[in-house]
Amino acid sequence: MSGGDIDQTMTRRQDYLEAGFEAIDVGIALWDDLDRLVTCNRAFLERFAPMKLDPAESITQTEFLRLLAGSGLLVTPLSRHDWLEKEHNAALSGETSEYLFNDGSSVRVERRHLGRRGRLTSFLDISGARRVEWDLERARDSAAASDQIKSRFLRAANHDLRQPLAALKILIYNCMTAKDDAEREDLLHAMDVSVSIMEDLLGALLNIGQLDAGKIEPKISTFQVSTLFDRIKVQFDHQAQEKGLDLRIVSSACALKSDRSLLERIVSNFVSNALRYTETGRVVVGCRRSDKHVRIEVWDSGCGIPKEFLDSVFEEFFRISESQAHRKHSLGLGLNICKRLAEMLGHTIAVRSEPGKGSVFSIEVPLGNIWHSDIGEPEISERIGGEFAGLLAVVLEDDVILRDALIALLERWGMQVHSIDSLENVPGSLQALEREPDLIITDYRLRGGIQGTEIVAEINDRLEKPCPAIVVTADTNPELIDTIRRQGFPVLIKPVSPPSLRVMMHNILYEPELVQELHI
Amino acid sequence: MKAEEIPIGSMVPLTGPSSADGKEFRNGVILAAEEINADGGILGRPIRPIFLDTGRQSAAEVVRAARTLIGEHGVHALINGYNIGPQNAEYEPVADAGIIYIHHNTLLQHHDTVMSNPERYFGCFMGDPAEYWYGQGFIKFISWLRDSGQWQPRNNRIAVISGAKPYSVVIANAMGSAARQFGWNCVFGPKVTQCPREGWHPVLDEIRALDPAVLANTEFYAGDLARFQLQFMQDPVPSLLYLQYGALHKTFTDIVGDRGKGVIVGTMIGLPRDEFGQAFSAAYKQRFGRDSTPEVGCQPYTSLHHYAIAAALAGGSGGPGAFEQNRRVSRKLLKTVYRSVSGTIRFHPKWQAAVPYPDATHDPSLGMPHIFYQVRKADQECALIAPEPYADAPFELPPWLA
Repeated sequence: MSGGDIDQTMTRRQDYLEAGFEAIDVGIALWDDLDRLVTCNRAFLERFAPMKLDPAESITQTEFLRLLAGSGLLVTPLSRHDWLEKEHNAALSGETSEYLFNDGSSVRVERRHLGRRGRLTSFLDISGARRVEWDLERARDSAAASDQIKSRFLRAANHDLRQPLAALKILIYNCMTAKDDAEREDLLHAMDVSVSIMEDLLGALLNIGQLDAGKIEPKISTFQVSTLFDRIKVQFDHQAQEKGLDLRIVSSACALKSDRSLLERIVSNFVSNALRYTETGRVVVGCRRSDKHVRIEVWDSGCGIPKEFLDSVFEEFFRISESQAHRKHSLGLGLNICKRLAEMLGHTIAVRSEPGKGSVFSIEVPLGNIWHSDIGEPEISERIGGEFAGLLAVVLEDDVILRDALIALLERWGMQVHSIDSLENVPGSLQALEREPDLIITDYRLRGGIQGTEIVAEINDRLEKPCPAIVVTADTNPELIDTIRRQGFPVLIKPVSPPSLRVMMHNILYEPELVQELHI
Repeated sequence: MKAEEIPIGSMVPLTGPSSADGKEFRNGVILAAEEINADGGILGRPIRPIFLDTGRQSAAEVVRAARTLIGEHGVHALINGYNIGPQNAEYEPVADAGIIYIHHNTLLQHHDTVMSNPERYFGCFMGDPAEYWYGQGFIKFISWLRDSGQWQPRNNRIAVISGAKPYSVVIANAMGSAARQFGWNCVFGPKVTQCPREGWHPVLDEIRALDPAVLANTEFYAGDLARFQLQFMQDPVPSLLYLQYGALHKTFTDIVGDRGKGVIVGTMIGLPRDEFGQAFSAAYKQRFGRDSTPEVGCQPYTSLHHYAIAAALAGGSGGPGAFEQNRRVSRKLLKTVYRSVSGTIRFHPKWQAAVPYPDATHDPSLGMPHIFYQVRKADQECALIAPEPYADAPFELPPWLA
């Protein structure tokens, strides 16, 4: 190989090295023995682009670190001075560092001594690996938290469900050997109470579980406080009566902005507690309105809470004393659930009390804009609000396909439909109805040669008054149609179109004077 | 060469009990067509409106009009105000021909028919919200008056008289079903009561005995409402009184005069008194005279403009049988939110009806305002008292309650 060939080979190799140096995605900077930048690749310049480095200027590594510290590119808990000192030492000793950039990426910085030639620094993006690590850490923490929740749930369940369960076992045994019906009745009632206590306890535990697991998401809407109060009344009226307490719910007219069901859970808890800890007197539920808020208050005339415990009543598993007379009915979780739900909703809850006289639990809820009130009907259709909604139709049609299609149509219009399939027992079929029908739709020719008009007459005899009826027929014989009309029935020719049926139904139900044959 | 005209059909009650409205519907279409044509028509093609009388607006009359306009005139679209009687029967010839139909029937059954077969009824649109919203919107309105302290009802009782038309029945039922949620107790009705031959006194006496704080009558026709109002005022029940849309008509004012003062009236499509509404009102009166009613004419006026925009965006209109082109127009109508002189028309993707504000959206820029007026003296304009931001006057206690 001649000298020229060797030179040529060396040059080619140099070109390849330079091309490879530029192409790799790892940022590389080479510093000479005087710590000056000799060369760097594209990846290095791109990574530190905001610093606008000029490779021709040969800045020192110390200057580079100073510029980097002042660039705002990195996120670090250290002060600028401490970070510079740490990195300077690392550069000298060849230690590895890790930079967290403000765009969220992580870069591992490795240094190599090149003997007398200086040092090489490489910058490798490890964001992907870091993300996987963080995800794993989060999953591990979540699993650990879930384990804790489960343990706490099981401890509480074990502790508090034992008592009613033990009672239930005894009651079942006693029930099996009961002497008479009266004793059995008493025992069954006691069992019923035990089961309901267990239900309440499990419900409370599940609430706590859901809160711990972050599975409750508030759905904020605007609704009337009266709808909440109506449900509270239904829920607790009977319980209050059984205990001889006067439950008064003072109706109010205002709109609230909250999660309807979570707010109900809070107020229900207040009322349930009030009834539990009140032996005589009354429980009053009402609200006070200010400019932007409504405070829902639950007053009781119960035993009250000593002042020193007022701050603790909303804590988890709190009870005034272990010997508390009612502890078998309660985990001490209800008010904690209220507090946590209220925090989630951004509402303020409070308590004031006077031992021996009673307590007032309250929650402050933002006033809602009544125009934004949720009526609870996301899809408006005739099924909900049409003119036939809620009416009861009796249908007589032998053809199964036609009958099913007619029933589907009437139900889509919000009607209840009763199909009479057995013509032999029309009275029996009518007895199955909860109320008198509003309309009859019958085919003219029913099986066995029976005419629909005969069945209508039978139904009317039974009802002792005429029920509006429409006759449908596939027979287009004008004489037959005329005969049916003369009997006082409007006629529709098959196939019946929904609009013509609708017009006929409207007229016969609401404007009978307009009933006439429609040829549309 | 003169561009070929686009025939647009309009089914309007030019005779019969709604002829006053029919005339305004015709005016609205004429004014919109003149404006569109003055600006070059739809992609250069002028619009030619063709009107057919629907008389008493029965199903037979309206279906006949639809068939004639489609079959004989080859209309590309049917655009009109309301026809109270056809119960969607006219949708069938429209669907068979595959053209566009925008009406203002204000009927919930439109939702049902369109949703029952969206493929078939792709071209059927309702340019205003369904009457259902009148009912619950009214209950929200009286609750708003109560809760905001503008009016203190002496009790929570409400009486609802329903007219016999499906429109009236649906509104009355919606009032009845929403009342309880807002703390009202419906003590009378909703009861379908056709305008009684012997007069309204027996019904009013029955209601008076129940002592309601609110009385609503959902009767449709302006003349019947006026007769009710006159008899009500002979011995007023001490209630807040709401009358259905018909009481906004000139016919009503002409009959009752100042005795209508204080009555609350609602409409799902009206004319807000903002910059748009006032400019339209002035142009309309200049074109059709001082006694014309832009509050009614605005209905087909807005819809014809909306149709023209959608057809232009779709690359043109299509006549009977041009299903694909009209499907494109239909898609543009659904996608194009149009701020009309009556407020925003935004078609609901499933109902193909205008979404009402504040009943179904809380954003006034995305819904057509459900407007509440209070009748003032005969020579004064009604006060627009709700909703914000359209209101221009406060509620006043009616004279029989003051």
